[in-house]
Amino acid sequence: MVTGNRYRALNSLPESAFHDGKLLYTFDQLNTHYAWDCGVAIGEYLAKLREGIIIGATCSHCHRTMVPPRLFCEYCFRPIKNFIPLQDTGTILTFSLCYVTWDVQRIEIPEIPAVIAIDGASENHGILHKIGEVDPHAVHIGMRVKAVWKTPEERSGDITDILYFRPE
Amino acid sequence: MYPFLHPFDRPSHYEGLFPVTNRYTFGISGEKFFRALKDDGVILGTHCPNCNKLYVPGISFCNECLLELEDWRVVENVGTVVTFTILNKNLDGSQRLDPEIVAFIQMGDGGFVHRLAEIDPKSVFIGMQVAAVIKEPEERIGSILDIRYFKPI
Repeated sequence: MVTGNRYRALNSLPESAFHDGKLLYTFDQLNTHYAWDCGVAIGEYLAKLREGIIIGATCSHCHRTMVPPRLFCEYCFRPIKNFIPLQDTGTILTFSLCYVTWDVQRIEIPEIPAVIAIDGASENHGILHKIGEVDPHAVHIGMRVKAVWKTPEERSGDITDILYFRPE
Repeated sequence: MYPFLHPFDRPSHYEGLFPVTNRYTFGISGEKFFRALKDDGVILGTHCPNCNKLYVPGISFCNECLLELEDWRVVENVGTVVTFTILNKNLDGSQRLDPEIVAFIQMGDGGFVHRLAEIDPKSVFIGMQVAAVIKEPEERIGSILDIRYFKPI
């Protein structure tokens, strides 16, 4: 029996097919509500972000200062009891100019995620955050940046309490 | 150096929601089946002349001889209860006041998992003859729930 092209796979359906009633489909939304236990160290970190302070953890054995803080040193396997305040300034270790959003929409002005080595922490110890208030093409490795915080009333104990880092 | 905060003074967990949505299209034969259910209020099956089987809902190829099926037939709205269960609890675990009856109803050589209604749950039995109750044309959206439920004949 000749089937011709009737069962040929379509590359993709145009979005309009879902709106003009030409195509039947079901729509569903999964309940993906989650709660992630942040533990003692990240809990302290988020609580201090609400106060406008970035904290790190210092190992009493190797004297390394880590950010975000943690309760044991991965190098020495020793518990950490020293949490210290750090600066809200730092240096860009690496960055990316991102012209698509998380849900794959094209954008004209890029988001700039970067790893920022925080001043006060050990060398090359940093956090991932965004860079703002800057010409995207002027961003470079080694650039000095400073955190831009939400107002104290807006802060909620979240990494987004820092809006972004901008050039010093 | 900071003393650690009291556990009540620091967040214990971080909450979030992944925005996961999906759209399921029914495919070539599914589209034909649901289009007929929506527009005409009929249940379609396909007949395999080789195996003399009537697939309900209609499919494009015979499961046994892989023949391409083109003989679409309107199936009578009557089926047989093959198996059933009586649900006394809702999806969230709360108690239902009116039990829901879910059954597999054979039609032709296929059938549907669907609701049974207009019947006392205690009187449902395997082998019972039931008929599909189709929604009014303006209510139909092209879903299996365009069959409102099955009721005893």
